[in-house]
Amino acid sequence: MSEVIFELRDLVKSFGSLNALDQVSTVINRGEVVFIVGPSGSGKSTLLRSLNLLEKPTAGDILFKGSSIIKGHLKINKFRQQVGMVFQHFNLFPNLTIHENIVLAPVKTGRFPAQEAARKADALLERIGLLSKRNAYPNQLSGGQKQRVAIVRALAMNPDVLLFDEPTSALDPEMVGEVLALMKDLAQEGMTMVVVTHEIGFAAEVADRVIFMDHGKIVMEGSAEAVIKNAQNPRVKEFFAKVL
Amino acid sequence: MKSELKNLLAVGMFCLLALLGTGCGQEKAPKLVMVTNAAFPPFEYVEGKKIDGIDPAIIRLIAENLGFELEIQDMNFESLIAAVQSGKADIAAAGITVTEERKKQVLFSMPYVVTKQVIIVKKDSPISNSADLKNKRIGVQHGTTGDMYVTKNIQEPERYANGPLAVAALCAGKLDAAVIDGEPAEVFVAQRPILKILPEPLTAEEYAFAIGKHNPELYSKVNSELAKLKNSGQLDEIIAHYRQTHSQNAAQTQALDKGGLWEQLRSSFEINFVKDQRYLYLWRGFIVTLKVTFLALIMGIVIGFTVAVIRSAADQTGKLKLLNLFCRIYLTVIRGTPVVVQLLIIYFVIFGAVDVDKVVVAVIAFGINSGAYVAEIIRSGIMSIDRGQMEAGRSLGLSYAQTMRCVILPQAFKNVLPALGNEFIVLLKETSVSGFIALQDLTKGGDIIRSQTYDAFLPLIAVALIYLAVVMLLSTLLNGLEKRLKKNE
Repeated sequence: MSEVIFELRDLVKSFGSLNALDQVSTVINRGEVVFIVGPSGSGKSTLLRSLNLLEKPTAGDILFKGSSIIKGHLKINKFRQQVGMVFQHFNLFPNLTIHENIVLAPVKTGRFPAQEAARKADALLERIGLLSKRNAYPNQLSGGQKQRVAIVRALAMNPDVLLFDEPTSALDPEMVGEVLALMKDLAQEGMTMVVVTHEIGFAAEVADRVIFMDHGKIVMEGSAEAVIKNAQNPRVKEFFAKVL
Repeated sequence: MKSELKNLLAVGMFCLLALLGTGCGQEKAPKLVMVTNAAFPPFEYVEGKKIDGIDPAIIRLIAENLGFELEIQDMNFESLIAAVQSGKADIAAAGITVTEERKKQVLFSMPYVVTKQVIIVKKDSPISNSADLKNKRIGVQHGTTGDMYVTKNIQEPERYANGPLAVAALCAGKLDAAVIDGEPAEVFVAQRPILKILPEPLTAEEYAFAIGKHNPELYSKVNSELAKLKNSGQLDEIIAHYRQTHSQNAAQTQALDKGGLWEQLRSSFEINFVKDQRYLYLWRGFIVTLKVTFLALIMGIVIGFTVAVIRSAADQTGKLKLLNLFCRIYLTVIRGTPVVVQLLIIYFVIFGAVDVDKVVVAVIAFGINSGAYVAEIIRSGIMSIDRGQMEAGRSLGLSYAQTMRCVILPQAFKNVLPALGNEFIVLLKETSVSGFIALQDLTKGGDIIRSQTYDAFLPLIAVALIYLAVVMLLSTLLNGLEKRLKKNE
């Protein structure tokens, strides 16, 4: 297999006496599209948010491209510039225009010079068909448009990996399609992606690998076929019987 | 971190203001600072830009003979003793009566006038002597011997900031009797035919100058000069001169009570604003009020933003614990004490030993005070912003400070703009207590006119209208800003 992006070693995250993550270990390779599924409260969002340290793990270690992001002297902002994140509620900045939303981080962090960032932002907007909205404010956009802008905002940093935290859960049903289509495009271009979602059908279609979590542990992981369709584990079987 | 930089900036600004203030204190000839309460004619009153009267005239002569350059400052009567005690001023000359209590705090020169506290009542009043005062509504000038006598021997009086206010209250039927010094009482009664002075004075007393106990040299110098003036007859001349001019002035103002309503209003307007260019008190006071409010506003915003960011950062990241503690102490102390008390402490205690421009003192006091309220307003704005905004910024690799500056604060500011506007309006009006440190702001300007014309109505209405106009203008501007910001959504 190719380069390892993330390596998780016995990751634990406790909230008080509750272990949201309980000794989780796995690997994310470059170019891989990994879906994390499971019942609510199973720890999938916590796991995803741990990957860019929005949650600070209680124990265990995470290696990013071979070096620990928990131990040692890591510059957290530099690290996060290489890991894009897409949120359930988009979290666009309502005080900035669409274009400003996209160029803010690349310019402020010094990752790209202003002109290049601006050109890149326009190209990305063109790609998702929203160039005409470049000077609009987020509240003038539909949910689906907002989420697509949020995705290209993350892309504008040229990250090594994109994390998606239930990207379609807050959308009206008729808008889910346009977001999934963009995600599928990205997956096919070889973008490394870690996705937490309830869209099991979409996972089955796009995932290179599916991780099934319950009670903070990885219960099962493997190809979409193996986990979603042919699981022997009764808990996994029961879950997919309900949602599919 | 960025927030610490802002903090430094605020501290720097504070120091700069303090330095600016102390820099003004460079003097050439030795200076004699006299404090007085210039609302006590004919002993002291404001005439044009100058404080004049019996006390200023005597002290001016003494200062001249001793080779001092004289500076006269106007302040509240009850602050005078504190001012000489703390060394803010060298001598207090304000028709101060010698009492045992005051003797414990300051040195008194030999008395230069013997006077009495008298009782003023309306002509039809049933009160005929001090024995009738029991259980009546008695007005006094706060901190005077009349106040002390009534408090000790009769009952709790109603305390007014100056004599004219007590007399105005009496005229308006809010009091049954006013106890004030005999000299100005004659003037008031000459102006108001409905009033009379009871023949039997409440107390007899001696006026003397107050000097700090740390300054016995000045005390003996003033005493020997005073003795010379007494012997040469100059002292009596001065006193007679001012008494005479003042009763003339009073005769002119008598027109107040004559003619129809319209005519009265017109002549009242003439006397209060036009005569002797008295409108200038309002105009100059207005400028001072604007200056203090504007500068305090800027200082308050700088402090407020800094404190709010430190407090929020401490809450959200668990860092900056020590700074956060300081901020919380600041908020508790400032919000837990009245602004007047803070103003007085900054003037008399913190800047007690240095000569600082009063505008600077007021700006610092109101700026620090407003900062505490602005801080909590901005913090509530920061807390109102969804947590996802900070997460989105940080997940893109922006630092905490960058996200705060580019994403959180602009949104927070917009959300709290109405509350901030309210705070600014409050601040503008709060500066009206500047008179406590004898800064001539708008309210004090109105006070001075009242002390000259003994008319409470028009000067107060004029002051109120000016505040109202500024507040309305401010509200309009803020509304416009709100609308403009709302468009960007």
